[in-house]
Amino acid sequence: MTVNQASIGATPSRSGFLRRIAVEYGQELIVFSAIIALFIVVSIVNPRFISANNLTTIFAGNAYIAVAAIGMSMVIITGHIDVSVGALIGVLATISGSLAVAGYPIWFAWLAPVLVGMAINSFIGILVAYARIPSIVVTLGAMSILRGGLISVTGGDWITDLPSGFMIAQKRFFDIPAPLIFMVVLTVLAALWMRHTPFGRSLYAIGGNKEAALATGIPIARRTVMVFAIHGAFAGLATILFATQLQVIQSTVPPNLELTIITASVIGGVSILGGTGTVIGSTMAAILFATIGSALIFVNVSAYWLRAVIGLLILATVLADMWRRRAKS
Amino acid sequence: MSAAPYASLKGMSKSFGSVNVLKAVDFDVRPGEVHALLGENGAGKSTLIKMMSGLYKPDEGAFTVDGEEVNFNSTRDAAAKGIATVYQELLLFPELSVAENVFLGNYPRTSAGTIDWKTVREKTRDLLDQLDSPELDVDAKVLTLSVAQRQRVEIAKALGKKARILIMDEPTASLVESDVQRLMSVVRQLRDRGVGIVYVSHRMAEIFALADRVTVIRDGAHVATCDIGDVDEDDLVSMMVGRSIESLFPKQEANIGEPVLEVRNLHRGHLVRDISFTLRRGEILGIAGLVGSGRTELALTIFGMTPAREGEILIDGKLVAITSPTRARDLGIAYVPEDRGLQGLVKPMTIKQNVTMATMANVSSGIFLKAGEEARRALDAVRRLSIRCREIDQTVSELSGGNQQKVVIAKWLETVPKVLILDEPTRGVDVGAKAEIHSIMGELVKQGVAILMISSELPEVLGMSDRVLVMSGGQVTGEIDRADATPERVGAAMTAHRTKETAE
Amino acid sequence: MKLKSLIRHETFLALMLVTALIVLAFQSDRFFTVSNLLNQGRLMTEVGLIAIAMTFVIATGGIDLSVGSILGLVAILTGVFWNNIGLPLPFAAIAAIFVGTMAGFGNGIIITRFGVPPLIATLATLALYRGLAEGISQARSVRGYPDWFYVLGQRDVLGVPTQLWILMAVAVIASVILAYTTWGRTVYAIGSNEVASRFSGLSVEKTKLALYTLSGFAASVAAVIFVSRVSTTRSDMGSGIELDAITAVVLGGTSIYGGRGTVLGTVIGLCLIQALKNGLSLAGVKGDGTIMLIGAVLILAILASNIFERSGTRN
Repeated sequence: MTVNQASIGATPSRSGFLRRIAVEYGQELIVFSAIIALFIVVSIVNPRFISANNLTTIFAGNAYIAVAAIGMSMVIITGHIDVSVGALIGVLATISGSLAVAGYPIWFAWLAPVLVGMAINSFIGILVAYARIPSIVVTLGAMSILRGGLISVTGGDWITDLPSGFMIAQKRFFDIPAPLIFMVVLTVLAALWMRHTPFGRSLYAIGGNKEAALATGIPIARRTVMVFAIHGAFAGLATILFATQLQVIQSTVPPNLELTIITASVIGGVSILGGTGTVIGSTMAAILFATIGSALIFVNVSAYWLRAVIGLLILATVLADMWRRRAKS
Repeated sequence: MSAAPYASLKGMSKSFGSVNVLKAVDFDVRPGEVHALLGENGAGKSTLIKMMSGLYKPDEGAFTVDGEEVNFNSTRDAAAKGIATVYQELLLFPELSVAENVFLGNYPRTSAGTIDWKTVREKTRDLLDQLDSPELDVDAKVLTLSVAQRQRVEIAKALGKKARILIMDEPTASLVESDVQRLMSVVRQLRDRGVGIVYVSHRMAEIFALADRVTVIRDGAHVATCDIGDVDEDDLVSMMVGRSIESLFPKQEANIGEPVLEVRNLHRGHLVRDISFTLRRGEILGIAGLVGSGRTELALTIFGMTPAREGEILIDGKLVAITSPTRARDLGIAYVPEDRGLQGLVKPMTIKQNVTMATMANVSSGIFLKAGEEARRALDAVRRLSIRCREIDQTVSELSGGNQQKVVIAKWLETVPKVLILDEPTRGVDVGAKAEIHSIMGELVKQGVAILMISSELPEVLGMSDRVLVMSGGQVTGEIDRADATPERVGAAMTAHRTKETAE
Repeated sequence: MKLKSLIRHETFLALMLVTALIVLAFQSDRFFTVSNLLNQGRLMTEVGLIAIAMTFVIATGGIDLSVGSILGLVAILTGVFWNNIGLPLPFAAIAAIFVGTMAGFGNGIIITRFGVPPLIATLATLALYRGLAEGISQARSVRGYPDWFYVLGQRDVLGVPTQLWILMAVAVIASVILAYTTWGRTVYAIGSNEVASRFSGLSVEKTKLALYTLSGFAASVAAVIFVSRVSTTRSDMGSGIELDAITAVVLGGTSIYGGRGTVLGTVIGLCLIQALKNGLSLAGVKGDGTIMLIGAVLILAILASNIFERSGTRN
């Protein structure tokens, strides 16, 4: 990336640039190859697969998952997990939609989920970092609070009559669907931030070796709260895409949305044990899921098998990750 | 060269709970000197260096750095004052690159405030070249490096922070001899550049080769600080131990009988290679060697934790396949492990439960535990090994180190072993308990138990063993009878190499 | 020391349960009736069976998130084996239970052989098993079971719901096993210090493998009872039941880090949750409000036990 022009006299590295990329982004390259391979195979079976219309569906339809997976990747890299994000997106979507319908300014309806997401997840982060409750327990609890809360407030009603200015996910800029732009810009920004700021690097340090991070003087508890807050912000941004893609906002989210998001992170190369991975990988994995989902339809496999396929995929990836770790040590 | 001390500690005290681990210790380091810190395990060395590096706060005492009194709240404060530490268990991030490890928490920035990776990599290159390590790749992940290479990364990290004082905690404990020489030349080079070095080590040879001054602490108290020219090895040992070696190791004579454990050409990975020896009834066979020489790995292979890949093990002359600790136990092999807290004890459980843990079949009717029988056996063990406790239903985490160790030994004596492997049996126990454990060993060999004792304390190996097996690089490099076992002979075998290591 | 604090936790919990019962009885006169309480026992059985197995799993320091999906898979398979393949219903149920038990065995293999952390392993199989249930069912449900099948889920034996007998028997047996057998001791030892357990010659891997298999078995039996109770199979059955089970276990005093916990505690935790659910719904609170309450209770229970632990002895 920025380090490809080492001065010729004193080359700091002893390995080539391409090799470094291969080491650094191994899993990302695998996912990328899988997407390409899938495209080739399926478009041979059914050429309509690569029509512009279908490509838009693939890239734009899962954009909200990719955006949410960015924050999730950060949380997992730090060594935690969040199973409440699906319920959170549902709650935030209802908040955002209700504000838009109630006539608040559109920008406010967009900003609100981001702020509320940050606030809720900061609280989760505090319970994890300061009350030392394992993140799986806090977020399991939070999941049922948010899910129960959502249904008891909405009573299962859908929000309709959304103002057209609100529907950002349906807009196009320079003929590119807005969700695609969101996904790419946020992924690039987050990737740069994770790679080039001390804050981003400290997340890898905390997830990689907590004791060493403590000895280095990294404020682990504070960073943990902040990474959950940032994850909340990304959940808010994902909500904007999710809530504005259809004319209605349902009071439910796709089942096991949180699992899909976690899976995107893990398949994208974020180690389940923390300390490694990139947000580029998780975004590509989200695209891969959309590609698989679409491919199943184009090769006439029932969509009911989608989850089994993805489940098998996550299991295979986890096993490969463990195997790779074992081979290393 | 008696420059003013850069860092000086006066009357440092620290207690954990009711245990007084440091009692008004004085210590100082001058720029450009190597100051060795010497003491037995548990003497308080690590507590002292953790205070200097900002991990612990002293209860009492004054800490002056560069003429200013300081009060560190974190390692960051210590680093800001130029104090850096290379811990024994290296604190690196295995998944991150060498360059990143060197500058983590201390990155050079670009004008935009982002990390200046170009400078990070170039500076790291520079620091590593200064440490004569041109072969280290700044982009390699740390997990791909050897221990010696990781250590150099740690040192580069300290230099990157412009450390004025470098604390090294047993830096050679897990290095092979060639790496030790290399490290010592790095240390000298740093000293010549004016860095003050606190060098914690057990090894007399290194201390006499490197140190300008030496401070000895014992049982948390300061014993002496002297110039290295004013003392010899015997002085240091008696200061450390507080008494002469002979009285510490009361070797009891036992009748040595027929072979009970025979190991032939045992192989398991690169730390257990082609090992053969015989252990007889009533014998104590000491295993000496540096950390990383394969002693513990050998024990783990015999105990079935990491089963052998090649070779034969015979018990009472019969060939056996030891595939798991359960199998080893059933064959009459017991192993008192090195890491008591992690491997030896289930700390939140009671003395009773720990004592019967390896022999639940004996205190149950196959399925149901018999409470009375279990209590009887535990009480018996407590009495026999004089484990000091309130009751057998007390959790073992409440006991002192020595009594915890006795619980682990009691657990394995319940299995009535033929072969008892003791891995560092007296590490981290006080002098009294140490003597008691030694006398228990004496009792056991009299009853015909064969003992395999691994120890890093040479005096203990020499004092207790009937025979000494010396390991280096995963192989046996010497087998020496008690009569011929001198520190020199054993020490020479410890650093010998039977075959050259090819890969690093 | 520890035994005493455990007893204290369960006593405290039992007092909470009694208080809840009294308060709820005053809230609605329909609550404290024999028929209502027995009916609550009926509703509690599926999650109860899973929670009892989960107690063992969590006591070893593990977790099993896939139980809800196993339940769904076994429910679907029972219907498919009977309706589509044409096996006699008892065989269909047994075959389905066998598959579900193997699903638990699969979890155990992934965890013990490959060293995958239980949380991640069972999160993955949660998706996989639910996916299989969805794929096999193709969103069709199977109804119209023979009348005798409903004995299990809808009828009484000696005036008590059939499945409640099963739950009580399992609770008693499990509680004896955990407290008084070498196997129970092994479970606690693994949860307190897995490495030392291995170094003591305990069969850690075999024990864990057996536990995850048992957990799958418990979820499978719960599935058949579930089908019998609601007279139908759907692929989303049991979704989220893992959370209910974990909440009951943790509320019952089992440490999420392992090494501590009792079946009695879990059973009291179960009763407390069921009483709250039922009482609140009788008092007019919607089911979703109850879900929120359970989430809050879960977090608060662990928070409280963390504070309790930190103020107590420390290593």
